Amino acid sequence: MLCYAFLGCIVGTLVGILPGIGPLAGISILLPVTFGLDATKAIIMLAGIYYGSQYGGSTTSILMRIPGEAASVMTCIDGYAMAQKGRAGAALSIAAVGSFVAGTFGVVMLTLVAPPLAGLALRFGPPEYTALLVLGLVLLAYMSSTSLVRTMLMAAVGLLLGCIGIDVMSGHFRYSFDIKELGDGIGIVPVAVGLFGLGEILSTPSAVVTQKVVSPRLRELLPNSSEWRLSALPIARGSVLGFFVGIVPGSAHIIASFLSYAVEKRVSRTPEAFGHGAVAGVAGPESANNSASTGAFVPMLALGLPTGPVTAVLMAALLIHGIPPGPQLVSEHPDVFWGFIASMYVGNLMLLALNLPLVGLFVSVLRIPYAYLYPLIVMFCIIGVYEVSHSIVDVWIMLIMGAVGYLLRKFDFDPAPLVLGLVIAPTFELSLRQSLVMSGGDWLIFFQRPIAVTLLALCAGLLALAAVALLRKDWRGRLARAQATGEGA
Amino acid sequence: MGGGAFILIGALVLLLSDDLPFGTLASPGAGMMPKLVIGAMLAFGLILLARARSSPALAAIAWDDFPHAVRLIAITAACIAVYTWLGFIITMSLLLFGLTCVVERKPIISAALFSLGVTGFAYGLFRVALKSPLPQGVLWF
Repeated sequence: MLCYAFLGCIVGTLVGILPGIGPLAGISILLPVTFGLDATKAIIMLAGIYYGSQYGGSTTSILMRIPGEAASVMTCIDGYAMAQKGRAGAALSIAAVGSFVAGTFGVVMLTLVAPPLAGLALRFGPPEYTALLVLGLVLLAYMSSTSLVRTMLMAAVGLLLGCIGIDVMSGHFRYSFDIKELGDGIGIVPVAVGLFGLGEILSTPSAVVTQKVVSPRLRELLPNSSEWRLSALPIARGSVLGFFVGIVPGSAHIIASFLSYAVEKRVSRTPEAFGHGAVAGVAGPESANNSASTGAFVPMLALGLPTGPVTAVLMAALLIHGIPPGPQLVSEHPDVFWGFIASMYVGNLMLLALNLPLVGLFVSVLRIPYAYLYPLIVMFCIIGVYEVSHSIVDVWIMLIMGAVGYLLRKFDFDPAPLVLGLVIAPTFELSLRQSLVMSGGDWLIFFQRPIAVTLLALCAGLLALAAVALLRKDWRGRLARAQATGEGA
Repeated sequence: MGGGAFILIGALVLLLSDDLPFGTLASPGAGMMPKLVIGAMLAFGLILLARARSSPALAAIAWDDFPHAVRLIAITAACIAVYTWLGFIITMSLLLFGLTCVVERKPIISAALFSLGVTGFAYGLFRVALKSPLPQGVLWF
């Protein structure tokens, strides 16, 4: 088990370091490699890639000012400024220690929170699950970095793609166009690899990726006492904040790092130092992003609800191995659940031990020209997708999704909700139809059960808040335009 | 632009859903979920269309990476088309060579060495070490 956690951590760190491959693309591409393993080993390795990438993302941010993945954007600002001042080693150490503390805190909280939450979710019937999935989608849209309407539109496209294939209740073929491979539906792997792996490469011409790297010396790796002191509280705050933000659906680890940066700047006695190499600007966001990554596992493991595209793909990995995540996971597959938790404790320790001594090696990986690196990634995308079902149709789907991902980025649509919609589509449809059948066609069933009505009330509240914010923004825009016209006249 | 495109897609899928029965609320059919989702898609598309003024104009989007993306898609598509026919080694060598030499304009010799070396390594890793059934093609490799 330790060997797979170790392998996952190493690969994850590389995935986090290399610009253009995020954790989602990394996990999707490597998902087929785990097919030969049992479920526990597979999920341990894939989760290792996920939290390893959160550690690795900070390296490129600090040494190159290129975020290896989106959550490391905030680390770029002060991390790179510290590197420019000759404190690259200290910044890397603070990021690694912060990630370790936050990751461990997240795992402790996951251990404490997930089993009781799973116990509660055992009371859920189809109406509660339908309401929970609707809440998941609404929360995702509410927390999204793009607009609520765009996010819901993407989720709807994902749900529609999830309808392709044989209808499990009636046996009807839906949108399969006599292609027998589409009878089983569209797989998550080709869609995720296409949208996030290939789509990212299409949007990143090699000319825009530069390999200017600051190389820290080994003896400069330890922060001084003042830097340790300045990082302690931001690490603690980032850990707590990140975990609770991580539970909420959406791009939690990205939001957590942005939120932590804002909090640290607000509470700092020297806010003017932010942007010029503030230690708290590295410690807070790095801790928050790692803690949020762990927090995201709580709804996935306890409720079977993916909170983001990465947890959606991890959920798909468990399903491929015949293990449905959700309330029954703790009681029916305790080996998988507790093996996974134990691996996270060890994994965090491994990452701390690995990241600092091997920083020189990782820096040398960054020197591979992108013009040679991305063809390699395209090759791995094709191998990975073909390996899932040995179907060339899946590889074509990946290519189409790559082009779609490129266009979505151009038009400012976030492709993540599409993957989420695709993952939850079968469960959502089944629970919706089961609810209607058991109530004899009465929609009121969703409002007659306390848990379902509470979840739907939360949805309504969030949608109302979003609508008010939208109207206020429109009103301000009109006011500004009217003022500008008045001044012009 | 985005809203209009999704309305068109939604309308097209709705036409394709003609043969799927909606059923009744007490006995939902295979077409119920898709039609509900298409309804939501059309509604969100219309909202986007109505708020089009707040989105960036089409002309404001930078398309300077478009030729690179088209070349990459064309080479990848050609390789996928012959993948199962020519097999792993030939197709992947051609893919890597095409991307490094044609798209990235690297020297022919270094692109060829890179393509053959990486394909050989990948074949050893996946086929020999991991025993993955890669497509063999007409030449059996």
